[in-house]
Amino acid sequence: MPLLTGSTGFITNFTGGQPDLHPIVTPLVLVPIGSQWLFETRATFETDLVQVPGRSGFHGGPVQKEVEYAQIDYIANSYMTVTVGRFLTPFGIFNERLYPVWIRNLQSDPLILPIGIGPSNASTGAMIRGGFKAHPKFNVNYAVYFSALSTVTPVNSDRFAGGRAGIFVPSVRLEVGGSFQHGLQDARSNAFGFHFLWQPPALPLDIRSEYARSIQGSGYWAEGAYRLSQIPFHQNEFRRTQVVARMQQYFVGENAAEALQPVNTKVFEFGLNYYFLDGLKGSTNYGRQFSDAGNANVWTMALTYRFVFTLGRTGSE
Amino acid sequence: MARHYILLCMVGLMMALTFSAIAQEHVGSAESSSGTAPASAKETPTTPAATHGSATAIAASDVAVERALRLEGEKRFRTNCGRCHQPPHKFPPRVMAATIRHMRVRAMITDEDMRLILKYVTQ
Repeated sequence: MPLLTGSTGFITNFTGGQPDLHPIVTPLVLVPIGSQWLFETRATFETDLVQVPGRSGFHGGPVQKEVEYAQIDYIANSYMTVTVGRFLTPFGIFNERLYPVWIRNLQSDPLILPIGIGPSNASTGAMIRGGFKAHPKFNVNYAVYFSALSTVTPVNSDRFAGGRAGIFVPSVRLEVGGSFQHGLQDARSNAFGFHFLWQPPALPLDIRSEYARSIQGSGYWAEGAYRLSQIPFHQNEFRRTQVVARMQQYFVGENAAEALQPVNTKVFEFGLNYYFLDGLKGSTNYGRQFSDAGNANVWTMALTYRFVFTLGRTGSE
Repeated sequence: MARHYILLCMVGLMMALTFSAIAQEHVGSAESSSGTAPASAKETPTTPAATHGSATAIAASDVAVERALRLEGEKRFRTNCGRCHQPPHKFPPRVMAATIRHMRVRAMITDEDMRLILKYVTQ
């Protein structure tokens, strides 16, 4: 049955005291075809509302519309899925798995996010990916892809090839992996990265981290999120509350891209999330940004919601 | 006079014997009826009880297997889905079928995990 799912959010940033309102809607359409095919596409509608000197209220430009990806997946067997079309570049974990506003623990993007994912966070081409149990104690997941050059804005992409592989140990909920990419245009440079996720089974704790390096720059982020469900009083409130902390650092490379910071930057952030309902989350966080261009405080408040609608009749098959 | 006492004693003894015989007859019939009933009661339910017992054992085995699969599915649901986001509440089965297929591709969940998770979330 086709599904319309996705997320919506209203995000308010205060960077250096300048407010910026950022409403965003990200619908995702899933169309299963037969038992082995899936068509999926995700779009984004967003705008930035800022204060204009001499005028009251917030003003923004036109709504930015973008098809983030549109891909057809063919589940060939237990080990392999073939994907063609425009897909999120599987470099690291944030772009592909943690990007939606209802999933991410802190609403700000990691500084190193643009490294290795192409000019519009996506690739145009083909990909083979899958996950399988390689050993009774761990699973292996992999993705290899090729992207062609596209200069059509906003679906532009670079020409490169790359892959990502990871090992997941379910018993300790630990995943480690690495990404590699080789550019097939311009400087023909390489990029690589590592990722790490750990959820100790005994604790409501998420630890995530990534490192990436390319000719554009390098850096890392490390994040911890703790759900306060173990506090013995006011459990109804505390089990919905999550405290988050993230540290990240970015170092400018020899061929810096526009999407990356122009100077070396370091950011510390602390946040608080409250899950009102399944899919409805309120977030607030404070960060301090240190850079050669000047230090600044960054405040963020957000309300995000994940929705699911069926595009047909429901019922058991 | 003595003959009258002897006759009364003989009648009384006869009545006593008669009542005793009647009483024994009642006891005998009661014992015979109660004696046959348990036998039939033991024999009659023997076959259904055996059938019922084996059916119960099979049902209990199925329940145990289902329970084990559900627990394993829940465990894998929390382990796999919780890697990136808060595990969602349950949705209708066909909704979950599409969602799980999407997550199999996106999160590269193994085939076995997908089946167990789907079984758990659709029950």
